[in-house]
Amino acid sequence: MKKNRQQHTPQRPTFNKVLRKSCLSFWGMTPMLLGVIGLVGLFQEAVTPSLLTSLFRGTPLYDTLIGTLSGAVAVGTPVVSYLLGGELLEQGISLYAITAFILSWVTLGLTQLPAEIEIFGGSFTLCRNILSFLFTMLIAALTTLTVQVLS
Amino acid sequence: MKKQDRSSAFRGTYLFLAVCLFYALLFLVSSKTAVPALGKSGAILIKILPIFVVVIVLTALLNFLLQPQKIARHLGHECGAKGWLWALAAGVISHGPMYAWYPLLEDLREHGMRDALIVVFFASRAIKIPLLPMMIDYFGALFTIVLSFYILIGALAQGILLELFQAKKLQSGAD
Repeated sequence: MKKNRQQHTPQRPTFNKVLRKSCLSFWGMTPMLLGVIGLVGLFQEAVTPSLLTSLFRGTPLYDTLIGTLSGAVAVGTPVVSYLLGGELLEQGISLYAITAFILSWVTLGLTQLPAEIEIFGGSFTLCRNILSFLFTMLIAALTTLTVQVLS
Repeated sequence: MKKQDRSSAFRGTYLFLAVCLFYALLFLVSSKTAVPALGKSGAILIKILPIFVVVIVLTALLNFLLQPQKIARHLGHECGAKGWLWALAAGVISHGPMYAWYPLLEDLREHGMRDALIVVFFASRAIKIPLLPMMIDYFGALFTIVLSFYILIGALAQGILLELFQAKKLQSGAD
């Protein structure tokens, strides 16, 4: 009985084999990841802080929308978004816009859309990005209002 | 794409070729823009290489230690609140750009991870624990606490909404 069960139990692959499979799977994605990284470099060069500052007008709703869109287009580490956000705040840009900007910087990304569609499919990517866009605006508004009330 | 093809076939080749073509054209039109852009891309690649290594090893470890049924139990449709909290915590502690985590998430999704948890993972990435002191310094403690709280609530809400949307879509498809 025991012998029979042993024959039917699939043999567990070794870690090296699993690691090799993982490497191969990742290797298959290199053109896509290199494409995204190439796009990120281009966007970092094209979207400058002065360009971002010039987009804001001083209206909360419009600025929140622009903050969300510019955060989605701009790319880089979150540290850069804080630095830019701090700079924008000093220039009198509303907290609505800055919150939206630093949030969408991390959760939305125009440059990684092709890769996201390739990996997760168009329907999932569309749903996730729409949800993320709406929630960025909502969280920006709620955060600013709450901070204003509490302070 | 079939699972068997995934390890052997290259993906995103058209995107890569399109970006290469764009760079080539940019070199011809304005090398002043193309050279720094390429330099920045190279710097990004070097910076995120360690994250890629972490993702490869983590994917292998998960596949080695956890059977697909276990992944489905912890992160699949039968997972309880624990699964949602795991996704939330993983998003908060994950490091590096979003696209670096695509291979691992794709693998987990193939093993049964529900889509809602992927949404929660991506949404909660807006909280960066190592950067919290910097955020407090720039925007204040109150702003940081309030924003972090809303990000966590918002991440869960986005996951729930996606699930409701998918259920509705499935229902209308069945009708």
